[in-house]
Amino acid sequence: MPKSRYRFNPDSLSFDKVKLGFRAVLLRSLAYLVGSLIVAVVYYVIFAAFFDSPKEKALLREIDQLTLQYEIIHREMDNLNRVVVQLEEKDDNLYRTIFEAEPIPVTQRESGVGGINRYKDLEGYNNSNIVIETTKKLDNLKKKIVVQSKSYEELYDLARRKEEMLESIPAIMPISNKDLTRTASGFGPRVHPIYKIIKFHAGMDFTAPTGSEIYVTGNGTIEAVNSSARGLGKHIIVDHGFGYKSIYAHLDDFNVRRGQKVERGDVIGFVGNTGTSVAPHLHYEIKLNGKNIDPVNYYMNDLTAAEYDKMIEIVSKTGQSFD
Amino acid sequence: MGKRKYFLDLNDLQYKQVRHSFEKKLLYAFLWIAGSVALTLTYYGIYQKHFESPKEYVLNQQIESLKLEYAIANLKLDESMKALTSLKLSDEVRYRPILQMDSIPWSIRNPGFGGVDRFSDLNSYMNRDLLKSTMLRIEELKNIANVQDESFNTIREKVDEWKFEMDHLPAISPVDPSFRLGDGYGFREKHPVLGFGRMHYGQDFSVPSGTKIYATGDGKVIESGWNSGGFGNHVVIDHGYGLISIYGHLSEIKVPEGINVNRGDLIGLSGSTGTSSGPHLHYQINKYGSPVKATNFFNNDITQEEFYEMIQAFGSDSMLR
Repeated sequence: MPKSRYRFNPDSLSFDKVKLGFRAVLLRSLAYLVGSLIVAVVYYVIFAAFFDSPKEKALLREIDQLTLQYEIIHREMDNLNRVVVQLEEKDDNLYRTIFEAEPIPVTQRESGVGGINRYKDLEGYNNSNIVIETTKKLDNLKKKIVVQSKSYEELYDLARRKEEMLESIPAIMPISNKDLTRTASGFGPRVHPIYKIIKFHAGMDFTAPTGSEIYVTGNGTIEAVNSSARGLGKHIIVDHGFGYKSIYAHLDDFNVRRGQKVERGDVIGFVGNTGTSVAPHLHYEIKLNGKNIDPVNYYMNDLTAAEYDKMIEIVSKTGQSFD
Repeated sequence: MGKRKYFLDLNDLQYKQVRHSFEKKLLYAFLWIAGSVALTLTYYGIYQKHFESPKEYVLNQQIESLKLEYAIANLKLDESMKALTSLKLSDEVRYRPILQMDSIPWSIRNPGFGGVDRFSDLNSYMNRDLLKSTMLRIEELKNIANVQDESFNTIREKVDEWKFEMDHLPAISPVDPSFRLGDGYGFREKHPVLGFGRMHYGQDFSVPSGTKIYATGDGKVIESGWNSGGFGNHVVIDHGYGLISIYGHLSEIKVPEGINVNRGDLIGLSGSTGTSSGPHLHYQINKYGSPVKATNFFNNDITQEEFYEMIQAFGSDSMLR
């Protein structure tokens, strides 16, 4: 019923038909839009104050669940951490019982990565590198002085033999020792596992399962393949020349004969528990001109500087030897 | 404001003011509200398509920060995993080889939880993957930790056994090592007392009468007193592991039968009782009833000084034991 509307015009005292111009229509619809938006916002605010939209409900449910599960996870993680700490203590105790005869009262553990840090006072040994480097340099200098006093012929001979020497002098670890975890006891005074007194340990111990391969650490000749019931048990002595000999003791079995020539890395025998030994391990000695020297300085082909430091740290910490 | 509106009544051709009845006004008002609500919904619909409501924004923020917490939790779990891995390394590489134990198969250490969806009740959540993976990792770590714990317990038992065995083996010299060794294990052409050839099952130590004799390993004294078979005053210690040690020709016995002794305990003084031509100690080790070479059980690698240091250490409940 589109009825025309009229408006009384007091000026002309007549009724004029209400007509809206384009502008007025635009203005009106704009006003209407704005008005409706305001109304809509008001509605929304009122609605939101009392109710949640489905999407919000879903989000809230999600938050509830995440929070709940997080609490569970948190509790579980606390438990887990406690268990891990207990395990680390057990590990420490085992380690000490087996490798260090002396009980150390408080566990020295660095929190964070890895948990275990047996190699704590590693820093103290950083300088040993410098010392060794310096000694090496000094040795080199000495050699140079010696070299200059030799004739060219001798020099040639020396140079030729230098290569041979590098191949002969022990320079690797006698067993596969990834991560150095098989390093057990070092050179120097250690608690004797039976006598329980400090005795000089003339070599290095590597723990490894019976039957693990033993590698000769430099080129040389097998000087002796001995079996004895006590002491070194089944053991091999290798003559590397240049005054160097290496000894591999407590073997389970041999892989070489007396007089045989061997090259660095050859398998000469297998780890065992023969002789005076309280557990399967390899006792490794290096002799220079008949005197025992610390083998830790003769792994140059195997160890990086950092690994060397770590090795020094491990062998200085273990208080008990295995033979 | 001349806002009044009029309309032309075609019935009587008069302009009449537009008036609405109350019902009509009500209807208009209702229509107005309904229309505005519908509009609001339309607006809201359009808005939601492109933006999130403030409330949602806040909620989403909360979810994000929770997710961050989960990420942190997962980092912590990584650390636990690292710790457990290094423990496993200790276990497998350090302890088991020494104790001659087999390593634990990977399938036991890491059983996995494949197949069954263990956390299917979380499926309806948006962050189900995050929730499930975190829970699963915890389960996995708990399992690894449990296996590790059991493994350590077994190793501990084994270590104790090992220590026990080490303490019980007759592994030292029964007397001061500075004394000369006498006749050893083997056939003797002429027995010093009996005068004819005879097998000698022990190791003799040439020691003067009254020299202190020490137990060579932990064990139980199973015989103590006179032996008519020729040992004279003698002590026999059972070390377990099928091993017994016999100390013969003693002048004095310090331990009664039935007591437990530790390595290094004084068990008697040497003498020349029984079938003996002069003061000496007869030291014999039997394994499963048969005599074995006693010198194979101790090393000649200790000085007199060290020997007494050792004996003192054994007696003093030393920290090193």
